[in-house]
This record gives sequence, C-alpha cells and structure tokens, in this order.
Amino acid sequence: MRLTLSSGRTIPQGSFVEHKLSKGYQRATSIVYINHLDLMELGIESGDRVQVTSDSGSVVLITEATHDIPTGCAYIALGPYANAIIGGYTHGTGMPDYKDIIVEIEPTDDPVPTVWDLMEIIGGLRYGH
Amino acid sequence: MAEILLKNAYVIDPISGINGEVMDIAISGGKIVEEVSSKPEVIDCQGCLTLPGGIDSHTHISGTKVNFGRYMSPEDMRAGRTAKKGPMHITSGYSVPTTYGNSYRYSALGYTTLVEGAVAPLEARHTHEEFKFTPLQDSCANILFDGNWGMLRALEEGDIKRAAAIIAWTLNAVKGFAIKLTNPGGTEAWGFGKNVSCINEKIPTFDLTPAEIIKGAIRANELLHLPHSVHLHCNNLGTPGNFTCTIGTFGHVPDLNDKRQTLYATHVQFHSYGGTGWSDFCSKSEPVANMVNFRPQIVIDMGQVMFGRTTTMTADGPMEFNLYRLHHDKWSNHDVELETGSGIIPVNYRKKNLVNSIMWAIGLELALLVKNPWQCLLTTDNPNGAPFIKYPEIIALLMSKRYRDAEFAMIHQDTEKRVPLPAIDRELDWHDIAVMTRAGQARALGITDLGKGYLMPGAEADIAIYPIKTDEIDPSAEYEKIIQGFARTEYTIKRGRVVSRRGDAIIDGENTTFWVKPKVPAAYDIQHDPTFMELFERNYSVRMSNYPVQEEYLHRNHCIETETDL
Amino acid sequence: MDIKDVPCPFCGCLCDDVKIQIEDNRITGVENCCTLGNAKFLSKSRLQHPIMRKDGKWVEVSYEEAIDETARILSDAVRPLLYGWSGTVGEAQVVGVHLAEEIGALIDSTTSVCHNPSILAIQEVGHPGCTLGQVKNRADLVIYWGCNPIEAHPRHMSRYTTYADGYFIDNTATDRKVIVVDIRRSDGAKVADEFIQVKPGGDYLVLSALRAMVRGKSDVVPDSVAGVKKVQLQRVADLMMKAKFGAVFFGLGVTMSRGKYKNVRNAIELVSELNRKTKFTISAMRGHFNVYGFNEVLTWMAGYPFAVDFSRGIAFYNPGETSVIDLLEKKEPDACLVVASDPGAHFPKSTIEHIAAIPTVQIDPCVNATTALCQVQIPVAITGIESAGTAYRMDGVPIRMKKVLETDFPTDQEILERIVTRIREMRADG
Repeated sequence: MRLTLSSGRTIPQGSFVEHKLSKGYQRATSIVYINHLDLMELGIESGDRVQVTSDSGSVVLITEATHDIPTGCAYIALGPYANAIIGGYTHGTGMPDYKDIIVEIEPTDDPVPTVWDLMEIIGGLRYGH
Repeated sequence: MAEILLKNAYVIDPISGINGEVMDIAISGGKIVEEVSSKPEVIDCQGCLTLPGGIDSHTHISGTKVNFGRYMSPEDMRAGRTAKKGPMHITSGYSVPTTYGNSYRYSALGYTTLVEGAVAPLEARHTHEEFKFTPLQDSCANILFDGNWGMLRALEEGDIKRAAAIIAWTLNAVKGFAIKLTNPGGTEAWGFGKNVSCINEKIPTFDLTPAEIIKGAIRANELLHLPHSVHLHCNNLGTPGNFTCTIGTFGHVPDLNDKRQTLYATHVQFHSYGGTGWSDFCSKSEPVANMVNFRPQIVIDMGQVMFGRTTTMTADGPMEFNLYRLHHDKWSNHDVELETGSGIIPVNYRKKNLVNSIMWAIGLELALLVKNPWQCLLTTDNPNGAPFIKYPEIIALLMSKRYRDAEFAMIHQDTEKRVPLPAIDRELDWHDIAVMTRAGQARALGITDLGKGYLMPGAEADIAIYPIKTDEIDPSAEYEKIIQGFARTEYTIKRGRVVSRRGDAIIDGENTTFWVKPKVPAAYDIQHDPTFMELFERNYSVRMSNYPVQEEYLHRNHCIETETDL
Repeated sequence: MDIKDVPCPFCGCLCDDVKIQIEDNRITGVENCCTLGNAKFLSKSRLQHPIMRKDGKWVEVSYEEAIDETARILSDAVRPLLYGWSGTVGEAQVVGVHLAEEIGALIDSTTSVCHNPSILAIQEVGHPGCTLGQVKNRADLVIYWGCNPIEAHPRHMSRYTTYADGYFIDNTATDRKVIVVDIRRSDGAKVADEFIQVKPGGDYLVLSALRAMVRGKSDVVPDSVAGVKKVQLQRVADLMMKAKFGAVFFGLGVTMSRGKYKNVRNAIELVSELNRKTKFTISAMRGHFNVYGFNEVLTWMAGYPFAVDFSRGIAFYNPGETSVIDLLEKKEPDACLVVASDPGAHFPKSTIEHIAAIPTVQIDPCVNATTALCQVQIPVAITGIESAGTAYRMDGVPIRMKKVLETDFPTDQEILERIVTRIREMRADG
C-alpha cells in the first residue's frame, strides 16, 4: 500500500530524548501511526509490524491505529527509524524531506531493529552493554 | 605600565580651550599625564591633526534589532566582507557590519566611544553580549522607556518620584546608561497596530499624552542626576509636516541643568519636514534650527542621510511599518512586552528621488543653521541615514560649500525649490568638527568627568591622529583631502594603547561599559515594591529575578553612581 | 534546598519559573515543569569518562588524550565540519565560531534541519514578530500552523497563549480564539476553536487562499483548497481580520513540507498583509532551548545565522551548498566535531553514513545515537543544570541559564577552549 508519511515530534519521543538507547525511545520512535481503514485494507491489526520502504531506504516499524490521521497518510516520530527512509536531497534549500515522503507499506514478520542496529548498519559501533 | 609620548601633535581640544597648538602628549597607564617617567614609546605626530577619540552619541551597533538587521540581510553581509588579518577577525556587512566589523571600522575613523541608541531593557543582556565583541570602543546603552508600563502608570498617577524610582531600578538592573524615549506613547499604541499623531493626543491604553511622558521623563531624569539628559526620538518621525511636532516638543523643555542640556533630541533631520504630503514635502530646517538657537537647553544630532543602500532600524515600530508600505521591501517588526517596539527595513536613498534629496539637504542645513556646534552633533543615526563610514564625507560637506554645490548639482533638480541649502554659505572649521564629533558628545553625554572628550592630564588616553596637516589643506577647495584624511587615522589610541594603525586594528582590545546606578533611598527601592512586583510578575513573560543583567555580562565596566533627589 | 526561577534547558519556550529541589547535590524534585523538562532535570544516565575507539573497540581514556586526539583530527582535516551547538550556551558557541574561523571550518547548527527555511523566508520578506509576553497580554486570536505545542512545547499554551492570563484579555477562555492548522488531528487540534485539516503538502495553497481573501479577492478561491472547504477558510479569514491582535506560531509542518521556505514566506506575507487591517505577528516555534542563541551568536560574529563556511578565508553563506545536509550528502567533510546535538538520531541515513566514515568527535554528556558514529566522545557538564550561560528564547529574549548542581565534569566551553589551545600548540610545533 502506498502512503504519504510525515515525521514530527511526539511527547514520548521528547521524553526519552536524553535516553536514545532506551527501550522507551526505541518504542516511541519506531511506531508508525496509520488510519484504521488503511490497516484494515492491509489486513493487519494495530501493533503488527510492517516493512516501510521509500526511495531512500527501508525499515521495519510497529503499526498503531489512529483516527487522527486521514487515510492515505501515515505519521512517525522523528528519530533514527524515520531517518532510515528519509533521503538527503534538499532541493537546494539545506532541508531534506522529513515530511510528505511517499512510502510502500507491507506486512512483515521481521523484527524491529534497535537504534544500535541502525547505527551499525551504516558503519557505526555500539557502545557498552 | 605602558607609556607613550606623542610628539609634535597638532591638537584641537575644544573642552580644554585648545584650538590648534603643536604640543606633546604624555600617556601612562591608560591616562593622559603631565609627563612620562621612564622611556616611553615615542610617536612623532609630525604636526598631524590630533583630536580626542571620536564619540558617537547615537548609533545602532549592538543588540536585538541590530543583529536582526544582519540576520535578515545576507545581501548586506556579502556587501562588506573582509578576511582575517593579524589580530583582526573576519568581518561581514556593509550597513550593519558584524560586531568586529563595527569595531574595526569605527576605530579606523578614530572613534573610541559608542552609545547604542536604543535598547529594550528586557533584551539588554543581548546588547551587553555584543559590546564584549566590540572590543575597541567603550560603550553605553540608552535604555528605552517610551512604553514602559511601570513608568507610564506612575506618570499617569502624577507621581514623578515613583517614575524616577522605576527608571532607576531598571537602569541599574539592565546596566543602562541613559533614558531613551522613542516615539513616546506611539510604541505602546503600536501594540494594537496604532500610533499617535501629535504630542497632545492621548495614547490609547494610558491616560497620558506624549508631551506628558516627555515632560515627566525629563523631570525624573533630573531627580536622578543622571550624567546624560533624556535622549528623545520625537513622535512622528519621517512624516511630512512633522516639524510642528518637533518644535512643539522643544517648546516643552525647561532648562533644568547647568552642566549640560536638558533634552537631547536625536536624528532631527527626520523630524524637520514640511508639507502636507509627499507631493509638497519640503525642508523645515530653518524653524527647527531657530528653535534650537533660542533654547540652549536643547542639543540635537543631525541624523544625516547619505545616498546609497542602508538598513533602517528603530524602536519606532509604527514608523517602520509606514516606511515598509512606501518601499515594499522586506519588513521586520519586534514588539517588546510592556516596554517598546521596533522595526527594520532596508532602504536605498537615491539622488534621483526628490524626497531623498530633500532629506539629504535637511541634515546639512541643521548643522549649518544651528549656530553653536555644541548644540548640533554629527551623526547619521547609523545606519538609518547612512552607515557611519560616511562620516568623512559629511565632514567634508560641512567644511566645503564647493563640495555641497557639486553634490547639489547631482541630485533631483526640484530640490532647490524645497530647501534653503544652496543659499547657505557657512563652512565649518576644524574646531567646529572637533566639537561635533567628540567634545560636544562628551559634554552632552555628561562623561567629561570620566575623562572623555579632551586631552589634558587626567583624561582617558583616547586619541585619534589623522594624516591631516591643517595648514596645508584648503578645506573649501580640497574636500577630497578631508574625506581621505578623516577616513583612516594614522593612529587610534584607546585607553593608552594603539589599537588601530592606518586602518587596521592591531590588537584585540577590551572595551569598558559605562552604566549608571542612581542611589535610591529605601522608600523608593522598587525592587521590593508590591505593586511593581505584581505588575511585573503578572504581565512579563520572564520572572523578575531573571530580568536583571548579571555581573557576568559586564566584563570590564565603570559604574556611575549618582546622588538622587528622591 | 529549593532553587526558584530556574530556566529549563529543554525547548525554545525557555520557561524560567521552574522550582528545583536539591538534596546532596542531587535533584529530588521539579515543580512547574512539563514532562519533557522534568525528564531532563531528573535524568540520571550519562557517560562517565571520555571514550575512544581503539582497534575496533571502545576504551576509556583521559580528558587529555581525548582532547589531544580531537585536536589532531581537526588539525589534519582539510574540510572540517563543526556541527550542533543548539544544546549549549552562547559562551561555548562563541568559542566554536572562533575555532571555525581559525581552522577554516564549516560551522552549522541544528537550525539547518529545523527552521532553516524560516530564516531563508525571513531573508526574503522580513519578520513581523514580537516577544511572547506581547502575545500573552494582547492576542485575542492565536493560530498554530504546522506545529503541535502540546507535544513539542508543552507549556507554550499555558504560559504565553491559550490558557495564559493577559492584561488586555478579560477572560482567556472566551476572549481568546485558537485555530490549529495541521495534517493530523493532534492534541492541540482537539482543544482548538477551529481545526483546519490540510492535505500533506497543501500549506502553500491554503496560505495563498487566505491571502486572497484578506485582500478581498475571495471570488478567486475554489470551493476546496488542499482538502479545506472554502466556507471554513472564509470563516478563518474573517476571524483574522476581526482580531485586535492575532499571533501566528508555526512549526516544522510548514518548514519541512513541500515548498519549504516558500511556505514560510507565504505565511509571513499573509501576516504582513493582515497588518494593513489590524495587528498581527508571526513567530517560529524554535526547538532546542538555545537553537536561537546559536543563530544570534553566529550572526553577530560572522553575519549569518547558520551554515557559514570559513574555508575561503571570509564568512561564506549559501544554504543548499554550505548547509550541513548538503555538505554530508556530497561527502565533503573529512572530519567532524559534534557539539550538543545528536545528528545520529536526526539526520537522513545517507548523511550519517558519511559521519561514520570520517573521524568524528562528539562533545556531549550522554551516550546517544551519534556515539556509535564517533571515534571519540568527551562527556561534559549538563548545560543549564551543571553549568551556567546565556540562552535565547524562541522570541529572542536572552535568559541566563543557571548552574544548580556542582559537578566535576568540565563545561562545553572549557573543553572547546582546551581543543583550541591544543590545536595552536600543534601548529606551533609544526
């Protein structure tokens, strides 16, 4: 299913902003909010996982049903999960497209990566634990 | 202790009564002294014109609105960028240079003290932060009270002493130097998009007229014995026919102080307009200058306009909006809660524009028609009339009728029907210029007691040595030499150190901020006044305890304590 | 011990009325603060020592070694990038700007990925704004456009707008109208008097329609604009024109969506237009507590609010070229210093890939996503809790942040000054 995804601030994301490696932050930033009707069409329930793919990348997220977003749209807290599918092109403005991203969404059983996983995929090295 | 001996200096020092004597000046420990003891560094001035360091008594160089002028104008930043050189940092900006840009360029002109003309108390911390990065000049902050609710309420109640107490608390809290009124009443009215059109019109939200605010502030100022007088930007700036308002305002000013003026009216060029609209716009410099000539209790500065691009910025929010509607360029506005307003727009003064041509003439006329140079000081209201780097050209215009005529031939041809300038033959002399660029400022600001504005023992060693031999120049004919000579000092000396040499800053420097602390009796200590505290805590968006500018921001400073009549 | 009137080092609201309880140099209670600020004041986890990657493993090192390595990395760099700055105070930012000037670096802040488009728009058409207290005392109409104060600036509504007492507002519940414009029905939208739900990417169209209506040209507006009915737009335009003082606050919904700075420009021009009828102001909802401070500092020192490239020996500014995302996307930097921000968590994947590929140093009190991308991390005191200094509120009001706890950790400013000193020593040694 093709949706228009926007990222932005949420309270849980902000509350864990000093604890980016915590489970709470991971949870807060890996939820994709989708309208009930779109979830029905995907044939999954709120809480099921989806593979979200844009021109710039792909990531596994957890769905959460909402009425606050119209059909055809999706919302995610800003953070490393959103960034996995955001491109670096800025149209000459310096600002990438953090909003209005066209994504393909399909159900998946794959696990949601951790923040450290995401950082290591791009060449980083986790610290501690 | 560093010592310098200036030899063969051709000195004009109006405050000390010296008008063109070749002499030596001894400097030790930042001061001018009778004689130096050990082996000083000797600078042979070779008869060059040597003046006290320049003082700009009204300029916009630091703080919220100045920085916003930079922020919104990358085109202006690109128009004046310089590379790192010796101890000089990178600079940007033409009409609103970065702090280092202001400091280096003022220093090249021989300026050693600057008064930031308009600071909202709520944002004064910002001004002090920028002062720190304007290292080659001492600085003072004029604090805006035109829409100060505490003061207005006290004036409404007719309680001048309470108004004075609130002013005293605020100046002390924000480390300010003087009382500034910008379009008094008008900036408060602008809070709801309105303005005032006359000094006798009630303002919308307080039972007061601008005239009452001005008179009240003047009396409060004198109760506090502040070094400077009330510093006024009159109502109706830039409006055709506003000269009646200006003259009316001057008529309200009593003579209350025998050491200095009772009112300092700034950028009076912008307030000396005749006509009923732009079509019959004309100069009214003559009646305004006459008024000043009759009233020694008034000092004005020119607010000279020079042609070219610049940025206008003022606390006068409604005026900037009117200007925006004329120019249709970008417009910024920034109202400050319970205190004042502000606005910024870029402008381009054009020789081919009749109104701009008349404005250019009016500033010069004021300087030439005010008989006493101590009463009309040289400014451009930097950068409103022009960037301060135009000062040498203005000096040349004032010294040379021939230069004025040559320029006049270039401007809009209808100008001569609207202005008296072509008929004025007066040419100012070196002494007049020394008065209008430093001595007059020192006296008007009330800082001669602090060693500013003169060159006798005891004075701060702030000195400008220009590559000008007055006996070799005919100012009337050789105006180009005047421009060149004042554009770049041979040496600028600040507090006993050479800070600038032939246009380049040669040390990092460190400025001193002057601020006032009126000694207020406990009964008038507003800090613990329940009514004032309630007004503050209910209406401001910051806590009263977080409002005062902390000592950390003062770096190097000099507190001027005053005895008060409260 | 209680400390009153502590400014909160979280968001651009910079609420300065927080009360902190302290026992044994630990914060045990926080009053007046929001969820976000509380979490920061009460946070306990932090990095205890400088760390460095050696042979593919993290090891603890001394401050001296970490600073030495940082100085070496920056000295060796041809195209160094100094990024972040919004989470620290002006006094540290000043050192950063001087450092950038000295080594010919490119310096940019988190502004680049938040309100950069607002600045570009302001540079085109200006900014009719005011301080927040002016809104609190006077505004009878408040419009939140593409922002969500309840989640991003939780006390904005209670301190400055919807629920705040105002001098000229008799009854804030009835005399102050609130309009929310957003693509989703956020919590803020739920408490608004009027909610305009715009289709994603439709802000520019809706703003244009409102401008037409304010200019008296309603007839050119179609029945529906980006999913919004014309009747609703007309109702809103009338509310705007009837207001005595209207205040627009806008957020990343305007700056980041399609159109970017042109959206903001359109919003500013709507407000300028409204000033011909009544009083209107517009303000950006700035994120980090001192993101605006960096813009101020860089402007007075170099002339531009962000994205300044010192590599040409002058201050060169050209967003789209000298902005951090574009620079990383082109893989230009060969070293990076990150101060008081977390690009690892907030930059597009392709750009942080490059941060991971070059020697990167982070100065930050906490382990964060960027930690994984660094070669060195230097922990510091927490600004606004363990160290003092100047921050600029979203409306430009400067506030002094307080130090309420003692600490042995050095401040950002101290670490930066030591790095500068070390670089100079290395250069002197040739």
